[in-house]
Amino acid sequence: MQPIRYRVLAIAFAVTGITCVVAAATQHEIYRWIFHDQFALALTIAGMMLAYSMMLWLTTFDRGRTGAVTRLDWFFPALKRRSVHESPSYSLAGRWLRSIIPASFQSNHATKKRGLFRKTLRSLGISWLASPVRRVVQGTCLAIFLTLFLIVCWPYNASPVGPGNASLGWSFETLDQQSGEFILGRAPSATSTGSGWSLTTGDTLFVVEERIVQGTQDAETSATIGDFMVVKSDARQIRLAPRQDITPALLDSFLDQAGSFSLHECDPAGWPRHYADNLARKEIIPAETFLMIDPLVSLSTAIASRSWIGSLVSAAAILIVCVLIPRGFCGYLCPLGTTIDLFDWAIAGRIKTFRVPDDGWWVHIKYYLLAGTLVAAVCGVLVSGFFSAIPVITRAMLFLVEPLQNGATRGWHLNPSFGVGHIVSIAMFFAVLCLGFFRPRFWCKYVCPSGAMFSLGNLFRITERKVESSCIHCNKCVEICPFDAIKPDFTTRTTDCTMCQSCGGVCPTHAIKFVERWNIVELKLENDPPTKETALGRRGFLSLAAGGTATVVGGLSMAGATKALGAKLDDPNSYRPVRPPGSVPEKEFLEMCIRCGECFKVCPNNVLQPEGFQQGLEGLWTPMVQADWAGCESSCNSCGQVCPTGAIRPLALEEKRVARMGLAIVNESTCLPFAAAQACDLCVKECDAAGYHAIEFTQVGTEVDANGIPIEGTGYLAPFVLEDQCVGCGLCQTRCYAINVKEERLLFESAIIVKAGEGREDRLMVGSYIELRNQKRTQRPLMQEQVAPVPSPTRTVEPQASTDDDPFGLGN
Amino acid sequence: MLSMKSVGVALVCFGILQLHPTNSNAEDQVELLNGTRLSGQMIGIRKDDREFDFESSFGGKLVKQTYAYDKIHAVTFGGKRFVITPMTESAPMAAPMANAEATTHHTTQRTKAEVLQFIEDFGSTEPDWLASTQMNHPETLDLEWPLKTEGKWDESTNVGQYIWGRVSPNEARWKPGIKLVYECMKRHQQNRTLLVRDMEKLGDMYFTLLQDYPRAAYWLQKADASVSKETGIFLAECYWRLGNKELAFAKLQGNLLHFNAIKLYGDMDEIEMAMNVANVYAKTPLFNEACLKAGDALRGAGRLDEAITFYEQVLDRNEARNKEYLTRYKGLAQGAIDAIKLFDKADVSRVADGTYTSSTMGYNGQVEVTVKVAGSQIKNVTVSKHQEKQFYAALTDTPKQILDKQGFQDVDGTSGATITSQAIINSTARALAQGAK
Repeated sequence: MQPIRYRVLAIAFAVTGITCVVAAATQHEIYRWIFHDQFALALTIAGMMLAYSMMLWLTTFDRGRTGAVTRLDWFFPALKRRSVHESPSYSLAGRWLRSIIPASFQSNHATKKRGLFRKTLRSLGISWLASPVRRVVQGTCLAIFLTLFLIVCWPYNASPVGPGNASLGWSFETLDQQSGEFILGRAPSATSTGSGWSLTTGDTLFVVEERIVQGTQDAETSATIGDFMVVKSDARQIRLAPRQDITPALLDSFLDQAGSFSLHECDPAGWPRHYADNLARKEIIPAETFLMIDPLVSLSTAIASRSWIGSLVSAAAILIVCVLIPRGFCGYLCPLGTTIDLFDWAIAGRIKTFRVPDDGWWVHIKYYLLAGTLVAAVCGVLVSGFFSAIPVITRAMLFLVEPLQNGATRGWHLNPSFGVGHIVSIAMFFAVLCLGFFRPRFWCKYVCPSGAMFSLGNLFRITERKVESSCIHCNKCVEICPFDAIKPDFTTRTTDCTMCQSCGGVCPTHAIKFVERWNIVELKLENDPPTKETALGRRGFLSLAAGGTATVVGGLSMAGATKALGAKLDDPNSYRPVRPPGSVPEKEFLEMCIRCGECFKVCPNNVLQPEGFQQGLEGLWTPMVQADWAGCESSCNSCGQVCPTGAIRPLALEEKRVARMGLAIVNESTCLPFAAAQACDLCVKECDAAGYHAIEFTQVGTEVDANGIPIEGTGYLAPFVLEDQCVGCGLCQTRCYAINVKEERLLFESAIIVKAGEGREDRLMVGSYIELRNQKRTQRPLMQEQVAPVPSPTRTVEPQASTDDDPFGLGN
Repeated sequence: MLSMKSVGVALVCFGILQLHPTNSNAEDQVELLNGTRLSGQMIGIRKDDREFDFESSFGGKLVKQTYAYDKIHAVTFGGKRFVITPMTESAPMAAPMANAEATTHHTTQRTKAEVLQFIEDFGSTEPDWLASTQMNHPETLDLEWPLKTEGKWDESTNVGQYIWGRVSPNEARWKPGIKLVYECMKRHQQNRTLLVRDMEKLGDMYFTLLQDYPRAAYWLQKADASVSKETGIFLAECYWRLGNKELAFAKLQGNLLHFNAIKLYGDMDEIEMAMNVANVYAKTPLFNEACLKAGDALRGAGRLDEAITFYEQVLDRNEARNKEYLTRYKGLAQGAIDAIKLFDKADVSRVADGTYTSSTMGYNGQVEVTVKVAGSQIKNVTVSKHQEKQFYAALTDTPKQILDKQGFQDVDGTSGATITSQAIINSTARALAQGAK
């Protein structure tokens, strides 16, 4: 071996990786040109380079094994007798570990006496003993997945913040034109509320005009002048720098009057934002991380919607990682795989009645399912969510675990009832688990189309499992392999191997190594014993032809059937569910929604619930607003934040509050005041409390006297929805339903119902909802201009001070 | 004091100019009435509108601003200083002072002449916000606004009905609604009858919507509002609120007093006068209104038992124009009686030991609260049954507050959960009232 040569190579890789990182961090031209500003991708590739250089570097220090350029072993080798002078570990890392771990933990290789570590692992099970790293990583990933799902996506630990501290009685003193800062002062007797608010430099606070009565309704007349940064403060005087540009309106607020101002820690006119803040605080890594790295999710969505999906970058990243660790996603990361492992261990592995052999027509289902899914995606129908690994486990968690979590911690009456969609999904999940009765991890090996993506990715692998000639044909590796990735001749089915390294750990002769793909050192003979496998794999050409045909036909007919029994978007009378705020237009929405269920989990009060078959197969499990159950909180934008495909756009809270997802429509034949049944103001109060002010009162049933003058005390105040203000949050419907239908039993259905459809919702692919609202506002003719007398054209005099004695027309 | 401040400000400005002479190429200077000085560039002057545009830099950014003459003390322009509004001690404070006085009850006493002068001086002015208020009525509205309206109720055409049905119940439309009446008045300058009606409406709106008494009084006086109508009673109340009871009494002379006079007399602590009017009305078909108002007056004066007898009259006589009216009046009377009993009885120091349960409507249904009282102390408050889904925080927060404060009077609604919170408070009050000794 020539370790020097490989060390140089390792350094070269490291330098390239570091260059990559630096270029990305400094936004260099080359980085833009190569990576098109995909920072995550650049970092992934750089990380790969560095990791690979590290592997090369470490491999050069190996002792006592056949040569390799890259060695990727982390299995726990079987105990084998060695002489005392021989180090039992050949790798640098192994030798280092042995030097720091107490001897009682280590096995004695001279006497073949097991150490404590080996004994403990043996008691956990053979797969733990063979490859403990893999089990630990699996467990960690499942724990991360569950934490993200059950804790990060759990909205109910958010609580609204109080009004905060306030300091009253400030008056405007002067402003500093040079720095653009305002100086306010106050009498020492003035009061503050809240405990011990010390105004410290750098704090942000809100200045409010005290003269304006609190509780004014819209932003234009709000008493809040703006947010400022404290530059300097003492008990008598404070210097404030505006956080926003100085506008004439801002100047006016200070210069126009001698009124007094109060300083507030929180904007008193501001909207609550506790749900949004709660999620943002908890999302150290994105809540949808695992969905993002399921490559089938992003690829099929991108194909179906013919658009760029942000998570394609993460899919690319994970595929690149899997060039180093072939199909490592399945062996290590996938939470569905780990769950199946648990189920196999606990139940399926103990019942052998239904076992099938390791070869049959089923072994290639995954490829055909993948191809079928992609064919359907090409036709614009997204079915990958039904079979893709992470959506399957996410939905299962949602429908099985979430109700338990919700019921046990908050109350069982808070679980919405199950629909057809729930049942189908749960049945599918159990079907996936029960495949384990046929063979362990049957789903992962033969069915999972996401796994098929990685199998195809394995074609580009740079490392693989190799068997050396010291193999004694003991068959232990074939028995332990969870993925049927070892052929009868003990060599590797490279597309199936997940690098779990269990085989390496059980091999009594240490014949198995995980090294670079091109390594040919001391390999055993192939096809000994004969495998009867063709170049195309186990089932050969016939299977490929038949399966391929079935795939194309299946994919096309699936797409056709879905469309035929689908949402019928061209039909104006077709069913249109109210979608979450920020959903892209319905056609694209159906193409992009992967039906993973992440948005349901994160939605406070289960406003979003899965659709059943109202839109045929096309809308199954897509999120829809169930306003009879609960209304969309104005302080929450979580659904968009966790959507892995961008079907629900990640809107800022300010954007979300003006995104019209539907329109509340009053049923004038049942609404209590309209029907002259009784007074009722539930919806109006609700809308005002939420801050939308989209429902006004109107007078109905008023009696008039002979002159047409209304008679005091007649008729009722009834709701009147302002179409341009209503965002369709459904809070009004929730309340009407809860009180008038469920509690008082006055109605059969809510008298105000949020409906979607043409003209009732704004669904933008890109662009700002705030701008859209402003646009609509300006398009609307201004009443003032129609009514007010045309202002007489006034002369603006160009000031020429030197010639004019009375430029201001003061007349003196 | 003011001049001291000005000197200080001037010194600061001077210091800045001295330190940064390059920035002083904008040589013009504006002195505002509140003492602030700005330097910048005069852009344009509109003598007729008595305003000018001035561009000044703040923290390096240029802002163009229009200043009205009456906010400006002086301008230094082209090296010359022009005094635009002479600085007097009270000048900058005049408007807010008047505002504050107008809205403060009972505090100031004024002579007859002072009140009338105040109404004349201040009530006749247009409010600050009027110019900047954007109107938002439907385009279909008929701004001719005839005295009589034919046909069906139509808020989108008839101004009076629009004000009734859409403006009054919706706070966001109050100011635009008042501006609308001003617009109508402009159109009715030639028609005395319509103009009087407009002015009366305007006064009515200033009174009922904004409690702007000087302006309400000004317009109601101009419309010569009669005490046989509600608006006349409003005018009398304005006089009283502005500080002169005699003027109010003088206005209330007359044979035909609108029944709202009962409430006004009650508010003015003239309970006997209120009773006189109420007793007259008690013999008319308007007895329901009269009894309710009399009850309110007595309740305000702390004469609770008498108040209850009036409220009970409404329940006992059990008649009204129609069923809808009857329900409403009886509801009001019953509600008032309940409230009196509750607030009187729900004081925990007067509640016998025991466990009490009561429920009221919350967000999603009845919220049942169980209160345990021992030794005149609230020992425990729990929400024993509820169906709340949203705004969960109140379920634990509000009972804790009730327990801490040993009562429900000063409990803050849990923010974001007001309805549930209120329901818990109300249920607690009702539960405690059950145990009143």
